[in-house]
Amino acid sequence: MSDSERPKESEGQLEDQEMESQQTPSPVADSPTGMLGSDTDAAPVRKTRKRPENKPLTEPKEEAPEIQKTEDDSRKKSSESAVTQGGWGYWGSWGKSIISTASATVATVGQGISQAIEKAETSLGIPSPVDLSAQVKEEEEEDGSPKSKNAGEETDGASSLGGAMGMFSSLSSVVQSTGKTVITGGLDALEFIGKKTMDVIAEGDPGFKKTKGLMITTSTLSQVLREAKEREEKQTAEVSSDTEKKAHYGMLFDEYQGLSHLEALEILSRESEAKVKSVLTTMSGEELAQLKGELGQIKVPFSLVEFDEEEVEEKKDDGGTEFVKELSEALADLHLSTNADKLGRSIKKAYDSISEMNRPANGTKQEGEGNEEEVHSRAEEEVHSRAEEVKRCTVEDIHSSAIRSLAELTARSIEQFHKVAELILHYESQETTALEQAKTLSQITIVLCREISLLSKKFTSCLTTLGANEKGDVLNPLITGVFLEASNSASYIQDAFQLLLPVLEEILKHTGQKYC
Amino acid sequence: MAYAYLFKYIIIGDTGVGKSCLLLQFTDKRFQPVHDLTIGVEFGARMITIDGKQIKLQIWDTAGQESFRSITRSYYRGAAGALLVYDITRRDTFNHLTTWLEDARQHSNSNMVIMLIGNKSDLESRREVKKEEGEAFAREHGLIFMETSAKTASNVEEAFINTAKEIYEKIQEGVFDINNEANGIKIGPQHATTNATLSGSQGGQQAGGGCC
Repeated sequence: MSDSERPKESEGQLEDQEMESQQTPSPVADSPTGMLGSDTDAAPVRKTRKRPENKPLTEPKEEAPEIQKTEDDSRKKSSESAVTQGGWGYWGSWGKSIISTASATVATVGQGISQAIEKAETSLGIPSPVDLSAQVKEEEEEDGSPKSKNAGEETDGASSLGGAMGMFSSLSSVVQSTGKTVITGGLDALEFIGKKTMDVIAEGDPGFKKTKGLMITTSTLSQVLREAKEREEKQTAEVSSDTEKKAHYGMLFDEYQGLSHLEALEILSRESEAKVKSVLTTMSGEELAQLKGELGQIKVPFSLVEFDEEEVEEKKDDGGTEFVKELSEALADLHLSTNADKLGRSIKKAYDSISEMNRPANGTKQEGEGNEEEVHSRAEEEVHSRAEEVKRCTVEDIHSSAIRSLAELTARSIEQFHKVAELILHYESQETTALEQAKTLSQITIVLCREISLLSKKFTSCLTTLGANEKGDVLNPLITGVFLEASNSASYIQDAFQLLLPVLEEILKHTGQKYC
Repeated sequence: MAYAYLFKYIIIGDTGVGKSCLLLQFTDKRFQPVHDLTIGVEFGARMITIDGKQIKLQIWDTAGQESFRSITRSYYRGAAGALLVYDITRRDTFNHLTTWLEDARQHSNSNMVIMLIGNKSDLESRREVKKEEGEAFAREHGLIFMETSAKTASNVEEAFINTAKEIYEKIQEGVFDINNEANGIKIGPQHATTNATLSGSQGGQQAGGGCC
């Protein structure tokens, strides 16, 4: 997106507009099914956390698509202009070539993929190597002019975001396999990735932010779970790339019991939701108004959570101690007997593996991203000697380690939220209120997501440095994969957080009754 | 890690009877005498083979404490098997079985296979509940019965696997509707790619070659 748009609008609006721009109709030959029937799928996903007045969980989920559709219609005009302004043209033919190949590859698998690929790849902001498009010429030509095609792809992708959730892992594999044939960027592109991914993504580049945002769903929670499981199966059934076999996020996430905790949390959330509903039906008059007011208050911290703007401090290089400290304090504020021990161990493990990979070089400074320029220019000089030194650690190893760490940390985060839910339901804390807890939990969510983001950057930085001798078609997909799964992680965490809302509402219900 | 079926299990019973220890012994083959109290539910998973088929057991190990009961009940639903555990050295844990059973039957599907387990069989000297009593209770309520020791691992495998066998038989008999996930059974992915974790070496080799 062009920078000129940024200051004028709030993030939320910008987000919406971007999304709309992708909705601009322009069917794509590559993937005809994308346009059909997936609008409603996409809607709840898109709407979720970008709007301050988040749709309360307690209301019927079916409402979401409808509402979103009306919005779609009303905004189509403005979106049209967004496209013609050429915001996407900025990314050049690079992303476009990727997309066309990608969508051709995955047309049958799921439409969300092309969207996310496009997002991820353009977010990297890699300049288009001239030879890039050569291999995909054929596909391109089928699609008419590049410009309209580009827009078309976006349309296609955005309209099918509902599917994107579950497809994320398979997606990265597609990116990888596609990438191999497409990207021939070489070192130039690599350097660029190194520099650009860091700041582009860290600064909340709209593209990436969107990718992240799109993955967030609060209104179709069970979908998250179901699709995560489906994805697991799909991946087991059709493993498509070497790296994917080694580092399969979905399976690892399940291995760390992330899915089970999510499932259990969802059960509790659903039951609380039902209880609150039934209580509301028995109330009337002032009593009802009071409770509704309190319920409204509690929703606020759940709708204001915004992570992408969180300036992830690049200087922070403490092996996660700051994170654990922050998390522990927040957990203590909940006044529940839960601590950050497990998460602390996971994060330590992750940082240990990072420093292990970086060790042969200049020790810890290497992983500090305090000054990217410096790090990277230094990396350039040392590229050759280093790469030989650390031959024992292949880029695939780093990638595997990154995916494993992300999956573990995410599973532990979900577990943490699940435990919080159980403890909240177990005993009502006298020291704090549900509202306070809601605020604290939203803070915890931010802390967790920030750490995920930080961690993914450390791993990709590692990849860029240690893989500097690798070909672009080897390295790029790996880096993309890490970022993709990081955003996947963040959305899991945010979804789990949203599941806590009904639980807190149930507690409120009790207090409400006590008052009366 | 493809499986033909996935069975959801729950482990229930009074606090301190050794539910978490049974799970740990089954999944990790180790015994940990001192255990934190389980909060709500914890999880374990293991692959077993029955009739040449890979079956994944997804085990929900629930908190035994009374105060967690309302929460843990929520987790019963959708379990294909339950291990109802008591401690042979504490009669009260045996006396509470009826309550547990009622609870389980009420909050789960009627076809759920229930295995009654008298745990801590290694502590013969402190035994308060005779094996015959356990057998009688199981017979009366249509349960499978076994005495186990999470400490010595005696019968632990058998307890989990026999339960799975029973479920498997019910599937063969058509008692379970395997397409209804509320029964706690899930059919695994169709294509068994057992080598999923093994390869990946190709990419590694490529990378290795590239850097020299």
